[in-house]
Amino acid sequence: MMDLLEGAPIQLQAWFLGLLRSFGTPEWILAVLSALIIIGTIIGVFLVLFALTSVLERKILARAQNRYGPNRVGPFGLFQPVADGIKMITKEDLVPRTADKVVHFLAPVVMLIPALLVLAILPYGRGMVPAEMDSGILFFFAVGAGTEVAVFMAGWASNNKYSVLGAMRAIAQMISYELPLVISAIITAMVAGSLSPSAIVAAQGGFAFGFVPQWFVLTPWGFTAGLVFYIAALAEANRSPFDLPEGESELVAGHLTEYSGFKYATFFMAEYIGMFAICGMFVTLFLGGWQAPVPALTIIPSWCWFLGKICFVAFTMVWVRATLPRLRIDHMLAFAWKFLLPMGFAAFLSAACWHYAGRGPAAWILSLAIIGIPYLLLGNSFTNRFAVSRRTYQFSE
Amino acid sequence: MTLQILLATSAVLFAFGLAAALSRSNAIMILIGIELMLGAANLNFIAFWRFSENPSGLAGILFVIFSIAVAAAGAAVGLSIIILVHRRIRSVEVDDASNLKG
Amino acid sequence: MMCAFFNTVCADPLKFLGNWFVVLPAIVLLLAAGASVVARNLIHAALFLTLSFIALGVVFIALGAEFVGLVQLLVYVGAVAMVIVFAILLTHPAQLEKSRTPFSGLGPAGGAAVGFAVLAVLLAFIFASPLGKKPLPPSAAAPVAAIGEALMGDYVVALIALGVLLTAALVGAAVLAMDDKKP
Repeated sequence: MMDLLEGAPIQLQAWFLGLLRSFGTPEWILAVLSALIIIGTIIGVFLVLFALTSVLERKILARAQNRYGPNRVGPFGLFQPVADGIKMITKEDLVPRTADKVVHFLAPVVMLIPALLVLAILPYGRGMVPAEMDSGILFFFAVGAGTEVAVFMAGWASNNKYSVLGAMRAIAQMISYELPLVISAIITAMVAGSLSPSAIVAAQGGFAFGFVPQWFVLTPWGFTAGLVFYIAALAEANRSPFDLPEGESELVAGHLTEYSGFKYATFFMAEYIGMFAICGMFVTLFLGGWQAPVPALTIIPSWCWFLGKICFVAFTMVWVRATLPRLRIDHMLAFAWKFLLPMGFAAFLSAACWHYAGRGPAAWILSLAIIGIPYLLLGNSFTNRFAVSRRTYQFSE
Repeated sequence: MTLQILLATSAVLFAFGLAAALSRSNAIMILIGIELMLGAANLNFIAFWRFSENPSGLAGILFVIFSIAVAAAGAAVGLSIIILVHRRIRSVEVDDASNLKG
Repeated sequence: MMCAFFNTVCADPLKFLGNWFVVLPAIVLLLAAGASVVARNLIHAALFLTLSFIALGVVFIALGAEFVGLVQLLVYVGAVAMVIVFAILLTHPAQLEKSRTPFSGLGPAGGAAVGFAVLAVLLAFIFASPLGKKPLPPSAAAPVAAIGEALMGDYVVALIALGVLLTAALVGAAVLAMDDKKP
């Protein structure tokens, strides 16, 4: 029965196409339809996830702050996205008079397209990759570069000094954190021997000692690279604590200041779908993709595991948002260039040594040492530099 | 799809880049023209690679990879020089950088 | 494979979707490049340039050089276009000067004339040479593994030299753009 559930999405699609084929539809229409079914399913699932996340995030943040979140609009407030959607659609669409109309209009579109496009290469289950590409990881980062263009378009087209400043900060942040992101992803590609996401997931299969999963996050270099990827992913998705570009108490809403109504909703949606996409990439690269953690739990279908892991990683992102304060821009950039990048390189070296030392116990100790020493050195230099000096109080008499 | 069409496309792209580099007054616009010319050359390489009898020879692809990287390095250095000149003379028009004009 | 459609397309785009997979992005490329060259507003020129880079990347992917196309998108769109845009923002005049003409040097007529002349010469050679009439070989595959082996094998000296060059460019650009006045 579990095998039935495992192959359910593929079987459903094949059954439907077989039905149509028996009606005599030409082959090329069937090919296009099969693509549309997959695209529709993925977009549908992620839109539902987006709607749920927009309310669940507020509820989790609220609970972390010892209050209820939205709880008026439906059972436990779960229909809040409907109310938000109606609000966004019916809001007046304001465009500044001196704004660049075409660029202002296109910015949300250009922001949404890369977020949706990268959903095509994630392996959602065993044998369930929509677009099997030889260099899928490279596709992910190449298409993600389009987001920076969109941020700039949004900031500049608003003809607003503060939007431009916010856009420049956002782009500086995204460019700085792209390097640790790519390096930590390349580490897994190096160990798995391929840039294809399904090959990387397959390289994390099997169980050591019969029950310990061989996910990359459970190795010293994988843990470091995973942490670097996670932090850089938070920064790429402009999530707190890296949300200076769109923090409300900073430059109003940064590059999104002059957007209202449906365009703002599009930006919002692009940000959340981008967050899920990068969570999906994190799960694929480090958490074993659709693999189950122990052999006993393989009865649960692979696509369920993938969905569950994505939801878990998204939950941790919301948790981090509730917990950590926002970083200042110079702290943020210093952190990227002076800590994350060297740690990424250390993880790179550690992974290579782990592989060439034979992947045995000695290799584990060696890789741990190669990571531990730079970490201690870099960490110390950081804390000394940003240490808060002794407070002096001055009272007026 | 013949090789001639691809080469003609890259020739037109090159001509656009050349016209931009020769006739615009903004230094950044000239750099844009240079990038277009480099892109045209890359397209040429890929077109010849695609139509070669020995497609497993990767020389065309590797040349383009190196060309892209070198063009990026050149653009970065060129733009930092433009920013530096702007700091001195407060303008990016190439006609204004005429201090050494004889 | 869940979707044979994408599989056959990615295997050899040129054969499956026919010539339109190359012709359409090529048309977009030429239009965007032309718009970028004649645009009065510098930011519009930079955005059209970004569009032409994207179209060029798609042309590369359509011709079967998938890795190069993705590298083009990653490097040109993600880095070079952003650096150009940053430079424009940092050197933007406070108020738009309407009196300055955007052309200088040879002027628009001179630039167009030289462009046409070079184009005519190139096209003459392209259409006269027998090299251009080669037939399209069956699919040309460039798997990433083969590119990696070539880079680290035959071309490793060039790769290391490229690394040195990029380091020098990075450090140089950072030093050049640093503030003169020391705090």
